[in-house]
Amino acid sequence: MSFLTVLALAVAALIAAPYLAHRLRRQRADEVPFAPARLVPEAPPKARRRARLEDRSLFAIRAASVVALALLGASPLVRCSRLALSRGGASVAVAIVIDDSMSMRAKDGGDRSRFARAKKGAEEILASLREGDAAAIVLAGAPARVGLAATTDVGAARAALEGVVESDRATDLDGAVAIARTLVGQLPQIDRRVIVLSDLADGNADAPPLGGAADATVPVWVAMPELAKDTDAADCGILAADRAGGRARVRFACSLPRAAAGREVQIKDGDKVLQTASLPQTALGEVMLPIVGDDARELFAVLTGDDAVAADDRALVVVESGPAAIAVVGDRSDDAVSTGGAPVVEQALAALHVDMAVRPIPQAPDRREDTAAFAAMLVDDPPGFTPEQRHALAAFVDRGGVLVLALGRRAAAAPLGATFEPFLARAVGFGPTPTQSADPASGAPALGDAAASLSDLAAKGRAALAPDDASAFEPILKWSDGAPFVMRRARGRGEVWVTTLPFSVDVSDMALRPGFLSLLDAIVGDAKERSSPLRGDVGVPWVFAGAGAVEAIGPGGRVASSRDDGALRIVPTLIGPHRLTVDGTPELRVAAPVQREIDLRPRAVASTATSSSLGGGVSVVDVSWAIALVLLVLVAAETVVRAVTRPRGEIA
Amino acid sequence: MSARSTPESGSARGVVAGARPVKEVRRAVDWGSLAPLRIRARVVAEGVYAGAHRSARKGAGVEFGGHRAYTPGDDLRHLDVRSLLRHDHLLVRQFETETDRALRLVVDASASMAYRGSRALGAKLAWAALVAAALARVAIKSGDPVGMSFIGGSKDARPVPVRGGREVFERVVDALESQSAEGEAGASLAMLNDAIGSIARSARRGSVVVVLSDLLDLPAEAAARIGAICTRGCVVVVVQTLDPDEADFPFKETVRLKSLEGGVTVETDEAARERYLAALAAEQGAWREALVRRGAKLLTTTTDRDPVAAVRAIVEAAL
Repeated sequence: MSFLTVLALAVAALIAAPYLAHRLRRQRADEVPFAPARLVPEAPPKARRRARLEDRSLFAIRAASVVALALLGASPLVRCSRLALSRGGASVAVAIVIDDSMSMRAKDGGDRSRFARAKKGAEEILASLREGDAAAIVLAGAPARVGLAATTDVGAARAALEGVVESDRATDLDGAVAIARTLVGQLPQIDRRVIVLSDLADGNADAPPLGGAADATVPVWVAMPELAKDTDAADCGILAADRAGGRARVRFACSLPRAAAGREVQIKDGDKVLQTASLPQTALGEVMLPIVGDDARELFAVLTGDDAVAADDRALVVVESGPAAIAVVGDRSDDAVSTGGAPVVEQALAALHVDMAVRPIPQAPDRREDTAAFAAMLVDDPPGFTPEQRHALAAFVDRGGVLVLALGRRAAAAPLGATFEPFLARAVGFGPTPTQSADPASGAPALGDAAASLSDLAAKGRAALAPDDASAFEPILKWSDGAPFVMRRARGRGEVWVTTLPFSVDVSDMALRPGFLSLLDAIVGDAKERSSPLRGDVGVPWVFAGAGAVEAIGPGGRVASSRDDGALRIVPTLIGPHRLTVDGTPELRVAAPVQREIDLRPRAVASTATSSSLGGGVSVVDVSWAIALVLLVLVAAETVVRAVTRPRGEIA
Repeated sequence: MSARSTPESGSARGVVAGARPVKEVRRAVDWGSLAPLRIRARVVAEGVYAGAHRSARKGAGVEFGGHRAYTPGDDLRHLDVRSLLRHDHLLVRQFETETDRALRLVVDASASMAYRGSRALGAKLAWAALVAAALARVAIKSGDPVGMSFIGGSKDARPVPVRGGREVFERVVDALESQSAEGEAGASLAMLNDAIGSIARSARRGSVVVVLSDLLDLPAEAAARIGAICTRGCVVVVVQTLDPDEADFPFKETVRLKSLEGGVTVETDEAARERYLAALAAEQGAWREALVRRGAKLLTTTTDRDPVAAVRAIVEAAL
């Protein structure tokens, strides 16, 4: 503090001057000759009090004026904690990484959440930018994404920042930092920085320190380390709550085992508690609770007690929330291998660890409801379909199922009335194959390098489609002579895949080749994408391929849909049930928290990322204009008060 | 915050003899707009219907002039016995006087009469002097003799003995112009006795005695002494002459009020107004009761009033 500042502040001592002046004036009441003075009573206390009050208003104004004058002389004086960049004279390009993950909802004992504090910090950083500076915004909630591409329009940056809201996503700090470096890495500004506003709780506490020297040209500044300082913060969350067989299975995770101490899980029907059980003190566990009664009730699993994040303490109990199954339709006696065990296609699916149940069924279902449990249906060499089967399978594909037809000798010998409509319009033929190998190049996009293994298949023949049917499909893999080997066609929200070889090892070696596993993997992936799982991770988009219109109501209200690659997508950003309407059909899905997001341990930060050379939290603010304005108002108020309280008729 | 006196309208702060300090005993008269007294008195007198003075006066005489209530000290020969027997009321019969109607003026020239507020035409003594001179003029034009005495005032100013003729007016005016407000009338009865003693002893029946005073600092016995003049068959009219400030107490802020006689100092403000006015009214009531009981009359006026109206009111009261 300079001498002049001290001197100016010393002027504040003159605050006593108005007081003394008032005291002196009060003692110097005018003496007026008045003949009947003996008839005049002394002034009553009330009148004197009023006089003192009037004095006090003026005294307060004048004292405040003296203080304002002293502050005006001492300003810029006020220091407040504001984020600001340390900068030289050149323009700066900054990419602000804001963590909008679920852990940022923690309030750490204060009124504002970590996210609100981080957003405020971002606003302060934007406020410290000057003309010519560039700013970009990256959101670190998984998947990391660009909130605003680099721009020199600070107003646009502020508007984009205003639109950033909290979510229950997981954290992808590394991805966000990488995106941020990409956004500002090529900008003309010499001084480029990535500013991270996060609690660093990305579930990878043991990962390498954030902001290491991977790219020295764009340093990383962890601007608000205080967001990660509350190491005592603990959270427990419900990962899944399923109901099956008269029991509810609640899976939970806690950031620390002790966080589960004293907490219970309750199954509630509205406000009514149906079942209660204590949480075991473990970081990851399950609790089973018996449930009796109507399955149609909407039940919620609720954790009692308080923790850092309240959003994950409540979850909808859903029925059969596991992934849909894959049906394998075929004659088990024909498909059995000589070494014993399940048919080869089932063994292949088991080898893929597809996380979906594989259910062998002897023939294609002929009722729509029988197809509801399946996401994919692999039909090996079917002898055509009955009309009922055709209707059921068509409905299955239309609602998003994947139907795989492996055509063989029996398909070509389908009895009269048993056709493959509406998937194939004409009859299928089966005959000798001119070649035994597939074209690896044609299958590389879908099957990768494994397509090369489909050579020398020792096929005893292959199915042939009518040209009209073949042209309706998209070839995935071709024979080396150019004939389609594997092809697919979209129908409704689902797809129909056709192979010209059956799965049976008696016909070819296709099922024994790695390429077959790749083919099944592609089919299963397609089925997973098109199926409608009841529960998914928050932040992971739900894709509705083939759907014309999707509406979703989530915990925070309506969720907007977007179209990407021709398919409608909805990204659930909040935990909880989402009620969808897909082409008029209601559907319930649940967005669940990601287990690693419940781990609140902060990630280490490289020492260079906290350097004060990148920025700091203290800034000097010139408030002279505000003090001058206050002083002006005080002077005006003093004049008004004097005018109001001056008695009428007094001669100045 | 100003703590000065703040009258309700205009600069009503009391001014006494210009810039002279309050503590000075002798106070020159602030004539204000009432000067020159000689001319102003003639103008005022011209404005008064002189014939009213010559109209029948009621007192002791031969021609019946009506009844009035009996007051102790009245001549019992004039008690109306018939009225007493018939109505059980003590009434005194009045007769047209056949004596001369000498005008005896008593002007209060004590220190308190020096006060002049901003709304007044002049100091109380100046205003009283103008009214007294105008009354003298009216009386002289009517052929009545005029005499004048002072309560307090300068020792240099001599009382005017009762005389008739035009030169009396000049003597009255000279005496008034040479007067100054000084002395504390309330200190003793001496000043009052000097002023009204000769009147009480020598005034003839039918004489008109006009007392011009603020009645603020006179001794407690003053009302009885003045009222007693009525028992000699004189018409006594007491004119309380107040400054407008004294009549309505215009002070708004805290102010220190110092009396002009008696050395009383009071610090007060607007809140005291109601109680002051009540005290003033009570004192006026006491004066009125004491005077009316003796047959005298009390008029109250302020120095911002038109002197012509005041003189006319006095003449009418004296009828």
